[in-house]
Amino acid sequence: MSFLIDEGKNIQHVLMGNEAIVRGALEAGVNVATGYPGTPSSEVIEAFSKVARKRNVYVEWSTNEKVATEVAAAASFAGLRSLCVMKQNGVNVASDFLLHLASSGTRGGMLLVTCDDPGALSSVNEGESRLFARLLEMPLLEPGDFQETKDIIRWAYDLSEKIGIIVMLRSVTRLSHASGNVRFGPLPETAARAKFTYDGPLLDPVTGPMISMIPARPEPTHGRQQEKLKLAKEMFETCRFNTYTGPPEPELLIVTSSICSLYSREAVDVLGLGQRVGVLKLATTWPLPNKLLTKHLASTKKVLFVEEVAPTLEDHVKVIAAESMSEIGAKTFYGKKSGHVPSVGELNPDIVIAALSRLFDVPYQPVPPAFSEKVKGLAERYAPVRGIMFCPGCPHRASFWSITSALQLDARQGFVCGDIGCYALAAFPTGFSTNKTLHSMGSGSGLASGFGKLKQFGMDQPVVAVCGDSTFFHAAMPALANAIHHRSPFTLVLLDNRGTAMTGFQPHPGSPTDVLGDPAPALDMEKICVAMGAKVVVSDPFDLEKTRKKLNRLLESTEGAKVLILRQACALSPERRAKKKYEITVDEDRCRGENCGCNRICTRIFGCPGLIWDREKKVSRIDDIICTACGVCPDICPAGAIIKKEVS
Amino acid sequence: MSAAPLAKDPYNIIITGVGGQGNVLASRLLGGMLASKGYLITIGETFGVTQRGGSVMSHVRVSCKAVASPQIPRGMADVIVSLEPAEAVRVMAAYGNPDTVILSNTQPIHPPGVIKGELDYPPVDEIKEAVKGIVRSFIFLDATERARSLGNPILANIVMLGALGGLAVVPFDRDDFKQALALRMEPGQVPINLLAFDQGYGMVKA
Amino acid sequence: MKVFGAGKLVDSVISAGLCCGCGACINLCPYFHSYRGKTAAIFPCNLETGRCFAYCPKVELDPDALSRFLFKQPYDGSPLGAFRSIHVSRAGAKVKKRAFQSGGTVSAIMYFALRSKRIGGAVLTGKQGLLPVPSLVTRPADVFRQSLSKYAAAPTLAALNKAVAEGYGNLGVVATPCQSTAIAQMRSNPMNDPAFKDPTALVVGLFCTWALDFRRFEAFLAERMSLPDIVKVDIPPPPASVLEVYLKEVKREFPLDVIRAFVPEACGYCPDMTAEFADVSVGVLEGRPEMNTLIVRTERGEEMVREARRLGYLELDELPDENRDHLMWAAANKKKRCILRCREAGRLNGEEGKACLRLSAETTERILK
Repeated sequence: MSFLIDEGKNIQHVLMGNEAIVRGALEAGVNVATGYPGTPSSEVIEAFSKVARKRNVYVEWSTNEKVATEVAAAASFAGLRSLCVMKQNGVNVASDFLLHLASSGTRGGMLLVTCDDPGALSSVNEGESRLFARLLEMPLLEPGDFQETKDIIRWAYDLSEKIGIIVMLRSVTRLSHASGNVRFGPLPETAARAKFTYDGPLLDPVTGPMISMIPARPEPTHGRQQEKLKLAKEMFETCRFNTYTGPPEPELLIVTSSICSLYSREAVDVLGLGQRVGVLKLATTWPLPNKLLTKHLASTKKVLFVEEVAPTLEDHVKVIAAESMSEIGAKTFYGKKSGHVPSVGELNPDIVIAALSRLFDVPYQPVPPAFSEKVKGLAERYAPVRGIMFCPGCPHRASFWSITSALQLDARQGFVCGDIGCYALAAFPTGFSTNKTLHSMGSGSGLASGFGKLKQFGMDQPVVAVCGDSTFFHAAMPALANAIHHRSPFTLVLLDNRGTAMTGFQPHPGSPTDVLGDPAPALDMEKICVAMGAKVVVSDPFDLEKTRKKLNRLLESTEGAKVLILRQACALSPERRAKKKYEITVDEDRCRGENCGCNRICTRIFGCPGLIWDREKKVSRIDDIICTACGVCPDICPAGAIIKKEVS
Repeated sequence: MSAAPLAKDPYNIIITGVGGQGNVLASRLLGGMLASKGYLITIGETFGVTQRGGSVMSHVRVSCKAVASPQIPRGMADVIVSLEPAEAVRVMAAYGNPDTVILSNTQPIHPPGVIKGELDYPPVDEIKEAVKGIVRSFIFLDATERARSLGNPILANIVMLGALGGLAVVPFDRDDFKQALALRMEPGQVPINLLAFDQGYGMVKA
Repeated sequence: MKVFGAGKLVDSVISAGLCCGCGACINLCPYFHSYRGKTAAIFPCNLETGRCFAYCPKVELDPDALSRFLFKQPYDGSPLGAFRSIHVSRAGAKVKKRAFQSGGTVSAIMYFALRSKRIGGAVLTGKQGLLPVPSLVTRPADVFRQSLSKYAAAPTLAALNKAVAEGYGNLGVVATPCQSTAIAQMRSNPMNDPAFKDPTALVVGLFCTWALDFRRFEAFLAERMSLPDIVKVDIPPPPASVLEVYLKEVKREFPLDVIRAFVPEACGYCPDMTAEFADVSVGVLEGRPEMNTLIVRTERGEEMVREARRLGYLELDELPDENRDHLMWAAANKKKRCILRCREAGRLNGEEGKACLRLSAETTERILK
């Protein structure tokens, strides 16, 4: 990744959107970058960490997004330029502090970079973070391609420092994880001095303390904040990143932002409507530049909104149109509200093509129908669906095997509240459909704390929550404290696989190294839970029977909150990827296969990709290439047909 | 540096496979090579949860004129390079047209439903028969076998990249590849990747 | 009997609350387990037919088919089932005085069977604290470690299945009526396995009116005393109507009316008081706590009893008419109550795969008279 800090003339690279963000920040002289892992944002901090030492940047994976924002804000208060980055859900987590930060203002320029995931490609919700800009009253920028992502960041920092407020920059998966050509600019000198000045008058933005608001006196701060937004709006009227391509008086005006602008342009090209349709690409999407919009609205009678996910541009532009109706006349609007663009899911060129084709009555058939039919049939026959599942050797598969077994044997309709991480997949067959709730970070423990107190209303189902090691620090700890204090008898199963695995195995406060790979104090989760007052038991999830026994005993205890730590490194971690411990084979003579007495429990239920069902021979076998030799499957075979031999 | 005009603008290449096969690396190398020749490149990728055994695709768009969107419209793929045969069929159905050229590896990766005994995965020979004559050309290559012979099956993605080079639908050669490698890999890894590239190149030229 | 699979077993029996915890479905495969007295499937098996369903005594039970298989005669609904002779019995001189229940007949028979190598292993029920646990005994003297009655339902047949899987071919089993019924179904090879061989050499049945649900019984006692202090639990024969709990220092008593709240639902659907499908059946003798009632049913049972008596392990005497009549009256009542309960719940000759019991109208009438 060293090419990210290339210096010289006429340098150009193909960069991922997330890399363009880093380059942009480096060119703007950012000194502090923080975040919490979350797809599609994680590469920003990872890329920063690789150049941190050379470019004098402090980089941190914070405990959660709220803390990440606070750490970056501190840098800004001390006069440095800083950046905090997260996925859409992270903005929810950071929002309380963000609200107050937008009010207190900033000093050194500060960017909140959010990477939304329309279509929920790697999320359990289709988040839309743009409305936070309106709600929290901060400016919002949405770059439309890779070059612009880099270029707009310097402009954003100038904006942030000119008006003294945090600026939100929103990306999406198809920009963050896509790549395009980016021409590099110069990198500034990197000697920065940090100092927090606070002894000026109370409300002085440059020298006073940084407080959100004086209680019962909103006017000085809130009023000031609204003035800032007015200033931003004026700057947006002439911002070079708002662009228009098309005829001076288009039959249809497309109003779009972010990567959807590329979909829109492509759709216009494909249908050959370049002389009839104009594309207004907005990069400054809150507050909207009234005059610019009114000017373009005046040039047409019909407007199509192309954006992801919520109809925010659509709603806001309609307000502007209503306000200026007496000047420019009534318009017809198309978008999500009219059904021309779907309200759910991510967009793509075909969706915009379909909308334009419908609006202009231009038929569109990219391939002959006979071909379509034929290949559709071929795909149905020859391209079986690929479900998502735990990796071979994943400790979660073993953990959930034991958890499900324990709950079934307990036989009181106990259940598991799920949480966010790889183990979220345990709501599905790969994890035996064990998890019965799935919401946000740490919510499994919070829900379980609540369920545990319903005994007085007749609920006697045992309650379990799961969380990962990273999630524990992020959000589960307060919920556990709540349960302990209120004597809620739930069992927290802490799945400690030694890292933040789902997003690429980043470190967290329990890890022995930090993002740069330097040694760092590792917080001891077991000791913390004991100190909090929970009963704590530890087990190796690969020992199925011991783990199940321990969990059953905990389920029977009415003591109060209990923690079962299941400790085993992720299959993708360096320590597991080293040499295989065992050689695993199947004795075909002993294998009971589909017969009564087994019915393929290994391939049908356990489902590790390293186990294959041979339909001809009607026995199971091991795929040597995929099997990681974790040694668990021999223990689930009722016939003792799966054999493990230690490799010297 | 001005780029040679393309047969179609934008020219659309899809590299597809199963999570973990090195799809992303192959598309970055391809994009890097073509950018250095003066083309405007957009690469669209899906990864994340899909890493855990799901289908992955990279849409590589090459243009002399403008920055293209990271998603290719349906039916507009000019070339599909697939690291896995079932994925080749899946992507052909979604993005192919009668003029598409398809290069596919022959080594299957069984989806969970198949290894669990619930779904059928037909033999590759049957797939080969079924797709005959559907598109302009559908070439099957034993890329994994070649990669294994070089010492590591994971090199199959580089073999396929070499094969794409051999097709010469977009201009890049061994030297371009060597330069692109230098940007992304430790010097010690370059020779084996070059060998893999050559294998693929040769398989198509033959 | 139409045989279904695990899914149906879970739906019709376990989820319906009709499982008696006999253990017949346990240790045949990795799915069914017993934990603290409850049977559960840890994962679903989707085979259409299976031994678990076939052996289960609480679903699709056809007493007539079993009677014809074991006794070569139809099932007529008579109170004590098919039998050859009925006696008063107790352990003989060869069996040293040890702690055993009532007359010690069951222990004596098992001890004799093992010593004489008529059986290679005895499937009995031991205990861990209050929890009954299945066990396989191969040393004759060890029989006496398992002598005391257990009042909670025990998954004893789990040990039988395990022993069969390990290759034992001539096992003795001490079984409650539901367990003996399951064994009889097992012996009839309901899956038509050509390689099947009967692994049992002797089934000693126990009289049973009802059992107790272990978890509820344990919870009741735990609220009133410290469980580790319990030495023995006993229900003395009528006319007593208490359950006695012997602690280290003291004895506590609870009226049976209170204890009956912990009888599993399943017991109400059982027509069999005297283990009608065993080789021999043993129970108390009312009014004489140091003796047993012994019913001999099959040829191999008769042979075992005759030899045990001849060699001094068993003493037999004539059963007075009064005792016999009373036993028949009690057994007939249990049968009647069961038929009425089944009929009311739609489980007599009901939906395929869901019925507890299948009986002809004639037999039903005879029982209900």
